[in-house]
Amino acid sequence: MTDLLLSQIKPGGESPFGTDEYVVNMGPQHPATHGVLRLVVKLDGETVKETMPVLGYLHRSIEKICENRTYPQCITYTDRVDYVSAMSVNLAFALATERLIGLEAPPRAQWLRMIFVELQRLASHLLWMGAFAGDIGALTPFLYGLRERERILDLFEMTCGQRLTYNYIRIGGVMIDILPEFVPKCKAFLDYFEPRIAEYEELLTYNPIFLERTKGVGVITPEVGINSGVCGPSLRGSGVSCDVRKQQSYLFYDQVKFNECLQNDGDCWARYRVRMDELRESISIIRQCLDRLEPGPIEAKLPPILKAPPASEIYSRIESSRGEMGIYLVGDGTPKPYKAKYRCASFSNTFVLDQLTRGWKVADIMAVLGSLDMIVPEVDR
Amino acid sequence: MGDQIVQWVAGLLQQAYALLGLSSIAGILDRVVCAVAMFGFVSVFVMFLVWMERKVSAHMQSRIGPNRVGPFGLLQTLADAVKLTTKEDVHPVKRDKIPYFIAPILAFVATFMGMVVVPFDNKVVVADLNIGVLYIIAITSFTVIAILSAGWSSNNKYSLLGGFRSAAQIVSYEVPLVLSIVPIIMITGKLNFSSIVQYQQQAGYWFVVPQFVAFFTFIASATAEANRAPFDIPEAESELTGGFHTEYSGVKFAMFFLGEYVAVVVSSAVAATIFLGGWLPLPFLGFLHIPGFVWFMAKVLFIIYLIMAFRWTFPRLRVDQLMDFGWKVLIPITILNILITGFVVLLLGKGA
Amino acid sequence: MTNEELKSKIEADFKDKIHSVILSGQKEVLLTVKSEAYIPLCMDLKNRPDYDFQHLSCLTAVDYPKENKITVVCHLWSYNKCHQLTVKLDVDRNNPKAPTVETVWKAANWFEREVFDLYGIVFEGHPDLRRIMMPEDYTKFPLRKDFTDDGFIIKPN
Repeated sequence: MTDLLLSQIKPGGESPFGTDEYVVNMGPQHPATHGVLRLVVKLDGETVKETMPVLGYLHRSIEKICENRTYPQCITYTDRVDYVSAMSVNLAFALATERLIGLEAPPRAQWLRMIFVELQRLASHLLWMGAFAGDIGALTPFLYGLRERERILDLFEMTCGQRLTYNYIRIGGVMIDILPEFVPKCKAFLDYFEPRIAEYEELLTYNPIFLERTKGVGVITPEVGINSGVCGPSLRGSGVSCDVRKQQSYLFYDQVKFNECLQNDGDCWARYRVRMDELRESISIIRQCLDRLEPGPIEAKLPPILKAPPASEIYSRIESSRGEMGIYLVGDGTPKPYKAKYRCASFSNTFVLDQLTRGWKVADIMAVLGSLDMIVPEVDR
Repeated sequence: MGDQIVQWVAGLLQQAYALLGLSSIAGILDRVVCAVAMFGFVSVFVMFLVWMERKVSAHMQSRIGPNRVGPFGLLQTLADAVKLTTKEDVHPVKRDKIPYFIAPILAFVATFMGMVVVPFDNKVVVADLNIGVLYIIAITSFTVIAILSAGWSSNNKYSLLGGFRSAAQIVSYEVPLVLSIVPIIMITGKLNFSSIVQYQQQAGYWFVVPQFVAFFTFIASATAEANRAPFDIPEAESELTGGFHTEYSGVKFAMFFLGEYVAVVVSSAVAATIFLGGWLPLPFLGFLHIPGFVWFMAKVLFIIYLIMAFRWTFPRLRVDQLMDFGWKVLIPITILNILITGFVVLLLGKGA
Repeated sequence: MTNEELKSKIEADFKDKIHSVILSGQKEVLLTVKSEAYIPLCMDLKNRPDYDFQHLSCLTAVDYPKENKITVVCHLWSYNKCHQLTVKLDVDRNNPKAPTVETVWKAANWFEREVFDLYGIVFEGHPDLRRIMMPEDYTKFPLRKDFTDDGFIIKPN
């Protein structure tokens, strides 16, 4: 079927002028497709007839590799599964292993984990905002988003030395305790950042051109969304309450107050609004966590070799920046996982791209793809 | 003061012709010298504009922009131009040779030709045509041919799509462009640019005051004519790589690029002349004795800055929304403007 | 429903369709289903309001060469009821065929393509079964335990 799509030009479309369909390849190297994603698009003039994502250009067989590494060694690979939101994947794997083996991290580690995962959510959404606006054509918010993201990455660098692939959240706790100046710096950053969100919204949210490009475009109805496996902010834009932090609470999310951001329209604009609201909610969560931080150990007592019980398995989900990230681990009594499966949000979210763009224009493919917050390393692993 | 300088230079030129024994064709030589001077001036000005765009966009994005090559990075464009001229001319093998070659030349030349009728100061204009406005409108349509040729001859699906979109866009936005100038012509009764400026001098106000709607529609249509954001779908990098100029490299690409800036300059110069009073000083600052030329350039730069700010602030319109905006929003507004202006002219009896 | 209640309810409702349902050491409900009852069970689990497993969270497979089987594993979640279930289907390793649940949850479309690509299980009834990660003309199944990658071997001259 692929060669059919790639080489055929079918005469006689549905238009009364007798236009032909032709196939355009938005190839793996492309300024807008968020990485090496290839889209084979069948067009009739300007209207999209079918969009077929071709995956696998960034397949690094992380799942196979993890079968040959011990559990702590796998944590470094989790950073690369979603390098824009590496703390979340670290956390997902660490939590999954802890549940499999039956460990629990001490409270200070849990609070620290929450702070860093929410900071990571801020950083990821800022990058998404820039990329989304850039796809639509507004090139300036990208720079603003990166400017704030730099400050968050400075906070990360202060703590664990890394700016992108942290390897910070380990099994049983976190790698190293925060420096004393982290808390005031973090609070200063949050105070600096909160009014900036209003700036970005002023530039984008009610801009007539932005509204024209995103309102009513790429509508995911709740039924289609749930059935097709859409998750995270993309599904919350359609009004479905699906936040794993609320439904299957982990760490101490049940002890902090935050709202689940929902919108009802299900179009690109709604998804944009959900993520902008989530920025504010994350700030509130981080502030509450910083207040509740107490001195204590940051790592649980671990056996020298971490072994899973034989014939055990766990499916553990967290809410990463892009949606639901699930880790399925099968243990067999050895220090290495028998099977490690990463269920990534972008994989399911990209599936609906075809349904959403049929009958729309080429420019809408970019708008929809941007609004789904798709990251290729998550799709391909 | 500008016309005094021009007369002094003209005098010098007459002496030069006499020396060289060419007095018989002095008239033609005058014209040639004017055209070359205009060409030189606009070329340098466009290079300055490229630098200005990079600086303006940088400061809007909390960056710095070029600051290494020359003082404040002013020689950056020169460096880029040198780089582009020394680049290998990569071209598709199966291209259509003649249109492929002509398209960038046409894009560059057609926009330059528009600058000859714009007055920089009182009587400082290369060709003071009586049909100046008509000439400008006719010349700016040449870019459609250039873009279509580029898109078609590149033998590339992306370029073709880009060429079609661009042609549709330019042709559609010609209409509100012309219609927004019509009220001015109705009021003054003249097509000559210098006369329009003189009318504003005598009337005591600039046409932007009664015709601010026409001013805004003119600026919007001019931005669309130059394929600039928010109407830059034909060149949208994030969608179809480069649009109609994907397959061009080196000098040919530089010509498209500079041609776009010259189109912006021409549109801004026309807007400054018609709506903002050309070389006239601001009404209450006339005592400062600043030459008209400087006022004119200040106004042109102001409009160019506006157009640049549009690009870095607004997202891009989708192609069907772009057409909707041109046909369903701008044209009714301009027609309404013409109606109202017509009524006012009838009532107050101004112009012809 | 808590996981214990869920396990008892499933035992009561679907006794004939399943091989076994257990509560694992990690307190998850694991259900092993009979091959012919796979699709009807999934339909029931999705549509019955007391189960309401609308969300197919993940569909993957685990290779057990020693027991000569590959297990297809579906993880289900209910947004309304907030309970989780794991459905397993054992497939013969030498003749790996399984029914598709794409008609039940569309999300299974790409998950099953990935399982086909990496394990070689043919899902009968799948509308578009082709490789998703590996190149189209790849012949092996990478995530199987007996996979050997020839790699790029640079032979010395």
